Amino acid sequence: MNTRETDRLKMLLQTALPPTRDADPERDPVPSRDLWPEIRLRIAGDAPSPSHAIPWFDWVLAGGVAVVAVAFPAAVPLFLYYL
Amino acid sequence: MTTHPYLRAFLAGSFVPTLILPLILTGFIVLRLVLQVPFPFERGIVFPMALVPLLWSLWNMLWLCSSRRTHLPISVHGALLPLLLMPAGALLATSMHILSLGARGVTWFGSVYVPYAWIVPVFLAALAVYYLMWKYVVGFLNRTLGIA
Repeated sequence: MNTRETDRLKMLLQTALPPTRDADPERDPVPSRDLWPEIRLRIAGDAPSPSHAIPWFDWVLAGGVAVVAVAFPAAVPLFLYYL
Repeated sequence: MTTHPYLRAFLAGSFVPTLILPLILTGFIVLRLVLQVPFPFERGIVFPMALVPLLWSLWNMLWLCSSRRTHLPISVHGALLPLLLMPAGALLATSMHILSLGARGVTWFGSVYVPYAWIVPVFLAALAVYYLMWKYVVGFLNRTLGIA
């Protein structure tokens, strides 16, 4: 790659990627404060805790299965037969 | 990891039944070889040890193939499998004389009596077990293997 090609490539890159300091401050305003702590708080607030990770419906189903297993213990080998 | 998605679906589907196999084999050895129970359990052992893992694998491959069109959750898809497995297992067990039909109930392995009245709650419990297994185990494996 000679000097001419290098200059042309440099010009193309500068055209495609204008420097950020030339950006319109009204269209792309720089935040006046650090937003990262708020993002971390939001992520922590949205993350489900382990007790809420499983929906209540699934707890009901698991409880029903346990009740059936206790009420009909002879059915447990049948479960294993079909697993 | 974008290659062979159906192979990964096959492996993920066979995971749960493969974990159950040692339990079944242990039960078989204890009952038949240690306690000398005079009943040919080996006739029916082919269903849980060979056909069930295969059907789980094929069912997971079917979900992978159809989920983009049907948008059916894997939990519901898995809960539909007993509708196929139960009659197939009962038919096979009856033909191999593992399951005998009586007037008020069925007898498994010549010793486990299950009245017909139990079939509905047991079947619903089986649907629930399959729903949970497919949602939390097979679904997790599919996500881990990059096919869900």
